[in-house]
Amino acid sequence: MATDTQSLRTVETVHEDPYAARARLTEAVRKVVIYFFLLIGAAIILIPFLWMVSTSLKTESQLFRYPPEWIPDPIQFNNYIDAWRQLSSIAPGLTFARIIGNTLFITVLAMFAEMFSAAIVAYGFARFRWKGRDLVFFIVLSTMMIPGTLTRVPGFLIWRELGLLNTYDPLTVPAWFAWGPAYIFLLRQFFLTIPRDMEDAATVDGANTVQTFFYVMLPLVKPAFLAIGVLSFQGNWNNFEGPLIYLNTTQMFPLVLSISFFQQSLSLEAPKWHYMMAMATMMAAPILALFFFAQRYFIEGLTVGAVKG
Amino acid sequence: MSADPGAFNTYYPTFLRYIAVAIGLGLLMYGVYRLLRRAGAKHEPATGFTLVLPWIVGFLIFTVFPIGLSFYLSFTEYNILWDEPRPLEDPLFNYKRALSIKVVELPEGERPLQVLGTMEGPTPETVRYRELDRFRLGDKTYVIGATDGNFLKAIWLTLRYAVLNVPLGMLGALAVALLLNQNIKGVGFWRTLYYLPAVLPAAAVALLWFWLFAPNSGLINWFLSPLYKLLDIPPAGWFTDKNLVLPSFIIMGMWGVFGANTVILLAGLKNIPKDLYEAASIDGAGTWKKFRHVTIPMLSPALFYNLVTNMIASLTIFTQQAFIPTDRQDGWFVNWFIYNEAFNFGRMGYASALGWMLAVMIILLTLLVFRSSAAWVFYEGARQEGGA
Repeated sequence: MATDTQSLRTVETVHEDPYAARARLTEAVRKVVIYFFLLIGAAIILIPFLWMVSTSLKTESQLFRYPPEWIPDPIQFNNYIDAWRQLSSIAPGLTFARIIGNTLFITVLAMFAEMFSAAIVAYGFARFRWKGRDLVFFIVLSTMMIPGTLTRVPGFLIWRELGLLNTYDPLTVPAWFAWGPAYIFLLRQFFLTIPRDMEDAATVDGANTVQTFFYVMLPLVKPAFLAIGVLSFQGNWNNFEGPLIYLNTTQMFPLVLSISFFQQSLSLEAPKWHYMMAMATMMAAPILALFFFAQRYFIEGLTVGAVKG
Repeated sequence: MSADPGAFNTYYPTFLRYIAVAIGLGLLMYGVYRLLRRAGAKHEPATGFTLVLPWIVGFLIFTVFPIGLSFYLSFTEYNILWDEPRPLEDPLFNYKRALSIKVVELPEGERPLQVLGTMEGPTPETVRYRELDRFRLGDKTYVIGATDGNFLKAIWLTLRYAVLNVPLGMLGALAVALLLNQNIKGVGFWRTLYYLPAVLPAAAVALLWFWLFAPNSGLINWFLSPLYKLLDIPPAGWFTDKNLVLPSFIIMGMWGVFGANTVILLAGLKNIPKDLYEAASIDGAGTWKKFRHVTIPMLSPALFYNLVTNMIASLTIFTQQAFIPTDRQDGWFVNWFIYNEAFNFGRMGYASALGWMLAVMIILLTLLVFRSSAAWVFYEGARQEGGA
């Protein structure tokens, strides 16, 4: 009996082995290939990034050492302070605190206005039927095609006519007029997914449109609302073209423009890469932190338009 | 540079106007709503229109009016220091100046500048044709002259950049998205990693790659130095070499392009119903057929979205260029070129004409892509409608 079972088992194993083993082998090879490519991609992405951080911790003489050092010895954390000191020695008054203040002033004002106006406009498109709505919405989407190049010169002339060049107005005030078509689109898509019963219930309870919007609808689209908040923060923090055109007084420059100013004030022979990389790292750091903490919203904001649309 | 009025004095006037505009806009909305109701509109349409009003007002002030103004300015001469534009004797002068080309024979021993001559017709200043290129036909030499060869070169560079960057970026992003869709461990981690370059500010990315590509001490030339030794050639100049400017920008662009595109494509892949693949398997489809006849059609809306946004972004590349000084003749993209015409050389009228040409180019290309979409973009809803 015992031998019988044994032989049976052997037969079974012999019978099954080639398929199972081959399947397992193919699967293993597939896994290895996939991870191999993933790792190559990761290296391509990470090496430049690490090089930026590594350079930002070097002294000037370490920059040109051959072969390059990845972990500088000694590590020069001072660059993160000295870079800004050197910048304020070129442009007195342009201290690090001032730069951050300028950047946050622009970013927060523009972001706040952009978020609220986009939500209000999107609500009007998503929930109310009115004559010409679809045509207007189509125009909103088509404005994405208009390059900023076209409105740059007249925009400059309009703000000059208003006497508001070299103020923060052109960078913040127009945000009240829902200047981001993509944000309107994204929020509209979200409003459309919310059942009408929600508003009906609020109306029955005696809430008017404004109350319904703020107390019922906005909390319901919170993920999308935060998503555009995150994208808008990133967009305004990184905005270079606007400040470049409208700001003139060095002390009013936000981060990007200050770095550009610093780069241009250095001669091409001594580009001070360690300082430039320290500044680049510091400029990227808040956006990276935001990305890590609010990743879900970033990804939501990116995908909703393309996939659901 | 103007004097610094101090931080507080630069913040609070803007802040006050920011609040004032918000209040004004609110009042305007309220007023328009009341007016509409009094005119007999029902609650629903009146509310809807009122809510969209901020966008409509902004659209008229910050889009329609500037576009009209820009169109008008493109037929004038307007130096940034002047108070107002001056009419041109030949209204189309700006456009002609940007696009005029002529080919003439270059006799032995003559200088191209002399042979090419100047632009005809009423021009506000003497505009010379300058040599763009020359070629030999038989035993004669011909020279191609243009009145603004640098603009034509900038357009050409930008088009080549878009034509290479967009498909390469999309294929790369598709490959990465397919990899990440293979039931691997820690998709979230890999997705974050691949998205990293896209989050970095364009300015930081440009500075970083300018340094990586530095001819003498950059990491890339160090990495390639064995190759240079082997081939016995000097290290590549990358951004400073007129033949390598374009590849350098493309490599830099590729680094950041995976991020957003991959995330969008990955979300699209996850949205494809599993039963479609099962049905295909039952019909005997292999991996390739499933990819070709299920994945690609189902992913086509996301691919289409990527195509449109990447195309527009590539054609208007700006910030990266501002941090990477390249040669004006061989390394300027068109958006940067137009910016400099307007704000460095102060030619607002001319820059408006150039801006219009770029805008028309972008709109035509976008419409072309939209027209083509009927042939290859697949919308599930549309199919059901067609079938019914």
